[in-house]
Amino acid sequence: MIAPATEARIYKILSDLSAVPQQQIKRGDRLREDLGLDSVSSMELVSMLSEEFSIDVELEEAVRITDVAGLLALAENRIGDA
Amino acid sequence: MLDTAAPPAPVARPSLAALAPPGELDVVEALVDPLDRFCRDRIDPRENDRRKSIPADVLDGLKEMGLFGLSLPESHGGCGLGLWATGSIAAVIARRDRSVATTLGLHLGLGTRGLVRYGSADQQDRYLPRLASGEILAAFATTEPAAGSDLSALRCTLSEVEGALALRGQKCFVTNGGLASLYTVSTRSPGLGGMRKGQTLVLVERGDAGVCVGAEEDKLGLRASSTTMLDFDDVALGAERILGPVGQGAACLQHILAYGRTVMAFGCTGTAHAALAATRNHCSVRVQFGRTLDQLAVVREQLADMEAKLFAIEALVRWAATDESKLEWRSLAAKVLASDLSGEIVDTALQLHGGYGFIEETGIALLARDARITRIFEGANDVLRVHRGLFALTQAPEGPQAARCRDAIGEARARLGTRLLGDHVTLHRLGSLAMLADAATAALQRADHEGTPEARALAARWLRLSMSYALCLGGES
Repeated sequence: MIAPATEARIYKILSDLSAVPQQQIKRGDRLREDLGLDSVSSMELVSMLSEEFSIDVELEEAVRITDVAGLLALAENRIGDA
Repeated sequence: MLDTAAPPAPVARPSLAALAPPGELDVVEALVDPLDRFCRDRIDPRENDRRKSIPADVLDGLKEMGLFGLSLPESHGGCGLGLWATGSIAAVIARRDRSVATTLGLHLGLGTRGLVRYGSADQQDRYLPRLASGEILAAFATTEPAAGSDLSALRCTLSEVEGALALRGQKCFVTNGGLASLYTVSTRSPGLGGMRKGQTLVLVERGDAGVCVGAEEDKLGLRASSTTMLDFDDVALGAERILGPVGQGAACLQHILAYGRTVMAFGCTGTAHAALAATRNHCSVRVQFGRTLDQLAVVREQLADMEAKLFAIEALVRWAATDESKLEWRSLAAKVLASDLSGEIVDTALQLHGGYGFIEETGIALLARDARITRIFEGANDVLRVHRGLFALTQAPEGPQAARCRDAIGEARARLGTRLLGDHVTLHRLGSLAMLADAATAALQRADHEGTPEARALAARWLRLSMSYALCLGGES
């Protein structure tokens, strides 16, 4: 389970990129349809995540992320690995 | 005064057979000569530029030839031709007048592609027959005052008010805006379809209450084509006007834009062809230092470079148009390099015309003005380079010049790791290298297809030029 503080930091990044207020972002949100992120800003998101938590994400893995739940799962996995 | 009425020296016509999909070559070949004649006899590009419009008889003539239905389905009165054929015809018109080619190309590409691909049977029955005959024209409205390349910033909003849909907002730089009767409009549609930030495409008729078409813009080029703003003041729309899945307009847009930008790229080859033909003609009659310009080695080199660039972009646009499953990324190189290189060709044409290129009489100045926008509209080139860079990360380019790009990707991944995904400067460079690899693949395929010594020589010259572009990008490793 991802730590609440980590989840909040991820939501902060999502909010900065999408301009959706942090409190309104939910696990089930889709990056494009609910947060309005296009393919370029979705990749930017993964880049920001990697910098924030000093983790490395395979590019092939990054392009498969389409929703917040996927992003949280990735972070949980990688931060656990780190 | 220079004799500009002399017949232009021959420039090799694009070999239509190269990369032609089965069944389309015959149709296009049958159209090219009559269309070429029509363009020469009936279209006066400088007069159109001066009057800032296309005469009705020119548009009527194109309608009579069935050109407004080229890419529309046969079941609805169109010709049912694919992108390769549609683009090839647009290129023929662009050789004569880019404004006319833009008007028709926009109708066939961005204007109707959404309806053809995503339209319901009712929508297609209602609009396609009249669009195919040219009775009505189509336009595509997505750019807004605050949303250009960044389509996620759309403000034009489709909302549900007491069970009905209402459209409110403003679109700008709408090509065909003043001529069209049907607009495909991209909107943000918060809440619709259960998506908080979804986008939805809608069909808007010019006569819908609340639609206001702005005045014609005063432009640098393409002055005979129509470009206006559109205002939507709470336009009431029925659900039957929604085009494609609710909330998923952004995904639909990707296909429509890829298709439209490829048609536009074909137009760039027409402009480049016109510039080269005029320059060959000028250089064959203009005498300096006791010889015609085309006997001077420095000039001959520049003419050869122009021809190699034209060869490459003709190959590239046809390569992009022949495989729709790869259109989303192949169209990126086609659009960017066709616009960049046709711009270079026109600039060299102007230079070789000397002072004559700077006056309107020779038509080179018009070509230069018309060409400039192509690097901006249908996706700004710098943005598309970043997109191609992202594609290249997961689908490394293939072909004879792809190793340079793959090495650069490997180096960037090792240096930046995941941060590469947010490093737009590096992605821009990688995208540029990937596009050069795409162009090399297309040029060599064309040379193989044509199988002539001339084609092989032009491909080889393009590869050498391409190397120098890559060196400028630091892709020599």
